[in-house]
Amino acid sequence: MSSSGAPSHKALSKIACKRLQKELVEWQMNPPTGFKHKVTDNLQRWIIEVIGAPGTLYANETYQLQVDFPEHYPMESPQVIFLLPAPLHPHIYSNGHICLDILYDSWSPAMTVSSICISILSMLSSSTEKQRPTDNDRYVQNCKNGRSPKETRWWFHDDKV
Amino acid sequence: MMMEESIERARCEELAKSSSFYRKVYSEIEEVGWESLRRLGGDLTFFSFHILDKKGRAHILELQLDRDYPNSPPSLSADVPYMFSLEWSTSSRLKDVMHQFQKHLDSLQEFWSVLDDIDKSLSVVDAKQPSRASPIRRILAGKECNIIAHINFNDPKSLPECRFIGPEPTAVNNLLMIWRRNSKKWSKEKSFLENLECILGTELPKPPDEELGARSGTRTDYTCENISCNKSFHSLCLTDWLRSITTTRQSFDVLFGNCPYCSDPVAVKINNMNKLD
Repeated sequence: MSSSGAPSHKALSKIACKRLQKELVEWQMNPPTGFKHKVTDNLQRWIIEVIGAPGTLYANETYQLQVDFPEHYPMESPQVIFLLPAPLHPHIYSNGHICLDILYDSWSPAMTVSSICISILSMLSSSTEKQRPTDNDRYVQNCKNGRSPKETRWWFHDDKV
Repeated sequence: MMMEESIERARCEELAKSSSFYRKVYSEIEEVGWESLRRLGGDLTFFSFHILDKKGRAHILELQLDRDYPNSPPSLSADVPYMFSLEWSTSSRLKDVMHQFQKHLDSLQEFWSVLDDIDKSLSVVDAKQPSRASPIRRILAGKECNIIAHINFNDPKSLPECRFIGPEPTAVNNLLMIWRRNSKKWSKEKSFLENLECILGTELPKPPDEELGARSGTRTDYTCENISCNKSFHSLCLTDWLRSITTTRQSFDVLFGNCPYCSDPVAVKINNMNKLD
């Protein structure tokens, strides 16, 4: 999966480093329910295990999120994708890209990895049917060259799911 | 008629001469590698090459060619404390210059390691990007005194020549006395910082955080006016954020945008103080 939307390889700025270390400590003290951070020595790429919430379509299913942080996090949003296989969901493409406004246009530096995770889980939980977005094939075809979802012009048309 | 012909011939000879000059320079740049070329004057008499030394520090070598090159050697300039004397014959080529420059860089590695060590471990005054050519570092030694250290580039790890300056003669003299008394404690085995602190018997100021400058670790100075939000910010950070998004508006020196937490309107005055003050 290392080829999937390789983010810029610029090292984290000092501010980004401090902020992420703080987030990591907070995560360890108080991890969001349903998530497990896989421990690595790489502060710039977090792999997070997601467990579908009980009583939802994804109950007991486990998926993995890959979070890559840019040099100027949190002034810039992280790149968040599902590692394959990605959950079947009307806002999640088969290449793992997620159509969720807070990851792109609506990002704010007040958000954290933890708050992103909760948003993604709530997006999963509120789904009423397991299916791919209607434009899945076209979109995935367009991303063949390893394009990052952050380069997509997203059009957030539906906020029910 | 004769007159015109001879002018024409002279012009052709001139052109042929300069075209062979261009061809020669072109092929010699090719030998060095186009990827190393940084600047190139239109008439190919001025250009610069980029080169990395053993520690990965980037250097730029500027070359100026005379029209009768290669009969006269190129003149060189670079950010180095002293230039090497170029060995040159009419059969020499630009790659030979680069080769000799690389060797010169090799010989200066220890000198730059000492300077890098100083820049990293101590608070260096008025030097955002200190020159690689200068063997002098002005180091902050508390409020009362600056140390002007002169590194010997032939023996960079040896005891540097130091001058002490400051507004308070007694404090400065005091430090100078300690320095003189203890300078034999200088050891080539220790880092510059360790040596200095050991000799002066005091802890020296460390370099400021490079991103926030003097304001690193300072308290927040702006609070969201929405009472139920009430989040605090450094106006510097909030300004950075507001400037990075397209929905922010500016009127005179005030930025209007939304609080990153509660999205209520915020208005921050742009602080003109330099980030790295």
